[in-house]
Amino acid sequence: MTPEQYAQAVRETLAGHPNSEELLEDLDDHLAEVASESEVPLEVRLGPPEAYAAELAAAYGGRTGERRRRFDLRATGASLAGHPAVARLTGLFPELRPGWWVLRGYVLAMLLISVADRPQLVPDALGEFALVAFAIWLSYTLGRARRGRWVTIASALASGIGVLALLAGFAAAEERSFEPAIAYQEPVMMNPVSTLGDVINIRPYSKDGTPLSDVYLYDQDGRPVTTSFEDSGYVVDRGCGEPVLNRYPLPLVQYEETVDDTGTAFAPTKAPSACAAPSASPGPLPSATAAPLPSATRSPSPTKRSE
Amino acid sequence: MDSSQLLKGVLDLAVLAVLDERDSYGYDVVRRLREAGLEDVGDASVYGTLRRLFKSGALTSYVVASDEGPHRKYYGLNDVGRAQLAASATTWTSFAATMADLLKERHH
Repeated sequence: MTPEQYAQAVRETLAGHPNSEELLEDLDDHLAEVASESEVPLEVRLGPPEAYAAELAAAYGGRTGERRRRFDLRATGASLAGHPAVARLTGLFPELRPGWWVLRGYVLAMLLISVADRPQLVPDALGEFALVAFAIWLSYTLGRARRGRWVTIASALASGIGVLALLAGFAAAEERSFEPAIAYQEPVMMNPVSTLGDVINIRPYSKDGTPLSDVYLYDQDGRPVTTSFEDSGYVVDRGCGEPVLNRYPLPLVQYEETVDDTGTAFAPTKAPSACAAPSASPGPLPSATAAPLPSATRSPSPTKRSE
Repeated sequence: MDSSQLLKGVLDLAVLAVLDERDSYGYDVVRRLREAGLEDVGDASVYGTLRRLFKSGALTSYVVASDEGPHRKYYGLNDVGRAQLAASATTWTSFAATMADLLKERHH
């Protein structure tokens, strides 16, 4: 293979290369130089022209030789649009449009109902059904009309809102189907639960008198049992993280209004965090002076006390 | 380890270093790299690298007529090429030192 033949073969291999002309500018001279060096044929010394061309393109295109061509959105779009499957799909759009108008009307009606009444995905009252029917009719008419600037704008706007509402509705429906129903139940308020007065906190003890901590209480329906400590001037100590209101004993701190040096009102808790050790003082046995009675905790104390 | 894989990463630097010494035409660069110890360097890789460096503006080029053979296109560094060489050399030196340290620790 002469240098000319070899160069021609390389040229043919790189015919599709975007910079082939610039790249191969002095290939002939270069190969002639290489050939003049030795009697051994070029294809033996340099390998087949196709491999040479590939190596050339790799070295020219980037160091690793694997640099991808920049993603050309328009070219990709054009080549996609030319694909028969895409053409079939886009051909479907006009047929799908009336269906979308119906769906759009439904979605917008439900959006309206959800905003005005309560969030819901299906109508459940006569008036709501009527509204849905009207909205579907309106949306369909709007879609069919397609005449005049304002109709077009209104239709596009309705579609945009419809799509957003649809997505929001799907998201809400998904959330609702995955979360246990209990998460949406209001906590049960035990107020009052005994004759001793309002229950503020609960101190569970085991059979042998050991104070228990992190005890979760639920009622017969599996709903969390909480107390009305807020009514009695207590707050949950958030120093231990976001509190769980049915985990007992609660880390309560008495909340008092005081005026500090700077004159700003109140600063509740400087008392040691109640979360580390649930029973700082030796806990009384449940039998005897059982759990902190509200009266006891409310006894006049000049400072906040940890509960 | 396949040294041709390593070479791909530093071929630019090697070509720039050779040209920094003196201007050369394509095949001369190949020859000089091989003489320097890079026996595996591919002719096409060097040619492609030269064309790319030229296109990126790191090289000047001029044609020298030859009595017996074909015209030779000589390549040389311009300021851009010298700056690129300096930057790449710094990177390489630090990288090579790191690798040397790594391998040294292995023997201890």
